[in-house]
Amino acid sequence: MTAQYYFQPTTSGEAVDLLDKHGPGVLVLAGGTIAMPLINEGISMPEKVLSLRKAGLNTFQHKNGNLAIGSMTSLTQIGKQTEIPMLQEAAQAIGGWAIRNMGTVGGNLFAPPPAGDLAVALLALDAELILAGKGGKRRIAIEDFYTGFLTTDLREGEILEQILLPLPKGKTAYTKFGRRHANTPAVVTVAANILLDGGTVKDARLALNAVGPHPFRAKKAETALIGSTFNTAAIANASILAMGEAQPFTDAVASEWYRRKMVAVIVRRTLEKITGGG
Amino acid sequence: MASRVVSFILNGKPVEVIVKPLTTLQRILREQLGYTATKSGCRQGGCGSCTVLVNGQPMMSCLLPVEEIEGQAVTTLEGLTENGQLHPIQEAFFEKFAIQCGYCTPGMIMVSKALLDQNPMPTRNEIIQALTGNYCRCTGYEPIILAIADASRRLNGN
Repeated sequence: MTAQYYFQPTTSGEAVDLLDKHGPGVLVLAGGTIAMPLINEGISMPEKVLSLRKAGLNTFQHKNGNLAIGSMTSLTQIGKQTEIPMLQEAAQAIGGWAIRNMGTVGGNLFAPPPAGDLAVALLALDAELILAGKGGKRRIAIEDFYTGFLTTDLREGEILEQILLPLPKGKTAYTKFGRRHANTPAVVTVAANILLDGGTVKDARLALNAVGPHPFRAKKAETALIGSTFNTAAIANASILAMGEAQPFTDAVASEWYRRKMVAVIVRRTLEKITGGG
Repeated sequence: MASRVVSFILNGKPVEVIVKPLTTLQRILREQLGYTATKSGCRQGGCGSCTVLVNGQPMMSCLLPVEEIEGQAVTTLEGLTENGQLHPIQEAFFEKFAIQCGYCTPGMIMVSKALLDQNPMPTRNEIIQALTGNYCRCTGYEPIILAIADASRRLNGN
């Protein structure tokens, strides 16, 4: 079946109405960098497509001490903003120039591992998501968004409208480790957000991707870090714990074994960036 | 819903095409309009050989449903040559042997055009960064990097 409908709503409300009217099975298209390859290969053959590109969700603004990022904001735009350096670094590490011009913040949250590098940074930054549906809008922590490989808490008829980010209080560091320097899928990606009080860790966020069914927080490592003196021993301990929390897989990029080993190495290097940065 | 008419600006001239839903810009350019400089490589957004400029920004035409470019300005390699004269970027690619099989060249040149429009004197590293989404399996990239640096000098009058 070739596509019969291509909807281009001009507001988020119109998008939700169209989804409600046309029911399940509508493919929601953001930048197209994940969905279109599957369509080109004939793996995905949607009858109805709803594109969000013109739905007015390309926004970047301050709201009550948060940054409110519209889900259709391009990765290029995120790569240019300087307010949240970790988010800038994460966006710049994705794909090449043309892909970043097309790919969106919201769409990246639906990218299956090893893709989805922006979500790692968003997890470490305690982002919240605004999901809009016919019944209204709801706000959830990004941590609660992922439920499994390719599954999320997004309900039938809902769209991801906005990402809310508190400005980070801690020191952040981000490492995407791939087989090449650029335009590469990750072996493992690590994002850390560490709040220090003197030499003691007051709060910690450590998020990983490409080593599990979806981007996730390494909570055992976080818990071990909190309250500890932020030194070599604490970092080594957190790296080993994070390795235990990972559920790596084998693909064309790397083997399960290699990914697991690299979790410990890259977590350590990422946390050392924070100590090294003073 | 049947096919629909989409109008856009192609290389400075208005065009109208009738498209089925979800048809990519790449297919329309090559199969309907005969603009075959834009190549069809991986059709996954992975190789860059289909790169065109939309409002001056590089995009993968294989991932872009034509409906999305209604009213937008699209530039393909054909749009760079004026009166049969090669564009300075094309001349630089030719003279610096930045072409072997030529398949990646249209995409490489479109990215180069966007880069030099936005950053007339890029550093070597900025050139490399701009090219990361475009694969070349022949040249090893070095002649392409040198050609873009050379094109920058030509366009800046040196």
